[in-house]
Amino acid sequence: MQKPLKIKPTDDLPFVLLDSKQNIFSITGRVLPEDGNKFFEPILNWIQEYVDSPNQSTEFNFRLDYYNSSTARMITKLIVLLEKIQEKDKDVKVVWEYLGDDEVMLERGEELKSISYLPFELRSIKK
Amino acid sequence: MTAETVYEFFQVLERDKISFTYRGSFSNTALAMATELIKNNMDEEHSKLRNKLSFLMIESFQNIARYADGEDFDEPTEESDFFMTRNVGKAFYIISANLIDNDKIAQVKEKLDRVNTSDKKELNDLYKTVLTNKQINEKGGAGLGFIEMVRKTKGKLPYAFVKINDERSIFFMQIKLESEEVDENAPAKSDENDVKIDDAQKIHKLVSSERVLMMHKGSFSQEAVAPVLRMVEDNMHSMKLKMQKKVYHFLVEILQNISKHGYVVDNEREGIFMIGIRNGRFEIGTGNYIDNTKTENLKSQIDLVNSMSLEELNEMYRKYLREGRITESGSAGLGLIDLARETDEKLNYRFIPLNDKYSFFSLTVKL
Repeated sequence: MQKPLKIKPTDDLPFVLLDSKQNIFSITGRVLPEDGNKFFEPILNWIQEYVDSPNQSTEFNFRLDYYNSSTARMITKLIVLLEKIQEKDKDVKVVWEYLGDDEVMLERGEELKSISYLPFELRSIKK
Repeated sequence: MTAETVYEFFQVLERDKISFTYRGSFSNTALAMATELIKNNMDEEHSKLRNKLSFLMIESFQNIARYADGEDFDEPTEESDFFMTRNVGKAFYIISANLIDNDKIAQVKEKLDRVNTSDKKELNDLYKTVLTNKQINEKGGAGLGFIEMVRKTKGKLPYAFVKINDERSIFFMQIKLESEEVDENAPAKSDENDVKIDDAQKIHKLVSSERVLMMHKGSFSQEAVAPVLRMVEDNMHSMKLKMQKKVYHFLVEILQNISKHGYVVDNEREGIFMIGIRNGRFEIGTGNYIDNTKTENLKSQIDLVNSMSLEELNEMYRKYLREGRITESGSAGLGLIDLARETDEKLNYRFIPLNDKYSFFSLTVKL
């Protein structure tokens, strides 16, 4: 079983938990790295390895307050990687959570949904 | 605010290594962030001044807060309170400007003149008298705050009153803190490089007419600008969440752009940033040095996004998200596309060649 990846949050960076044993995959908080490539490298590497032998059912959870444009590109890369799971006849889904009145994060979620080939749920949540 | 305005500020503040002006809500959060911003920007050589400078900034900032009318802050007007900290050469300056009733001017003037003409011993005596005898203070003795400022800086407190109408004036005061020990007994020397208080008045006029909420000139590393973002957030509580998010998003993109692509001069990525509010709309301006070999490409990128419709911008953005940017020419960065599609006006920009190596690049957007 793949070792879990856990990244502690800071003011500008999110809490990340990728744990195949517990079947939890989530990124939560603000994502404003100056260098998106650098911050996402371990995350994308982890996912790359995971999609080779994924769980029967995978739900990737985003709950973001803000993210910058270099992160937008990385999130898309992550989603494209997850699409490989479908080719293995396993279930995979993205859940995009946004605070009920946060129109900006809803719009951003809709945009990502429109360019993704995965089941993509936009879920309104309360604080 | 236009790209031209940003350059005008940059010129007026040419000698400022660090510069910060503020006209928003004088809250504790804003104060904490202002002191942090200056600390993060301070060079090692000035590190000894840190505590003293923080103390004086707090004293001056709270002084403004104390006399502020307490109304909810909406947008800066000609009469808004003003706070500034700047570093020119070896000295730091703290400037405050707030409204004062004309009939109180004589009283304040008398207090200032007294501390400005007292020697060390007289100041100490005055301090003790005011501390132990509240009566004298009310009768017009020097305020404790002024005495403390003079004792801490070992300098004078230049001031000015600028009449705005029959009832009120703007009261300017400047505190100077030097990194070199000042010889207390030596007669005050007049330094040609000294920053005069009318300089602050000029800047005040500029931020007033441009409705600038906050301006910062200095180094633009991520760490250095974090407090700027928090301060802007602190001034947006009364706005719709959507607007707050958009402004924040804009700021992050635009500030990170400077810290990533700014041309390095003397080991620093220097830049200027300002945010204003006019008629309920946010205006954001940035300026920084850029390598002359990169100006053509950047110019064509901005022209490209300016020429595209929202639909085209969205399409381009989504394409880049999935495929990445394929060629450098004939395309624009994600950040620029994002800025262009969030505003209904064109991105306003200017390049001003400064020498054969780099130019000054300024950009403004409205939200």
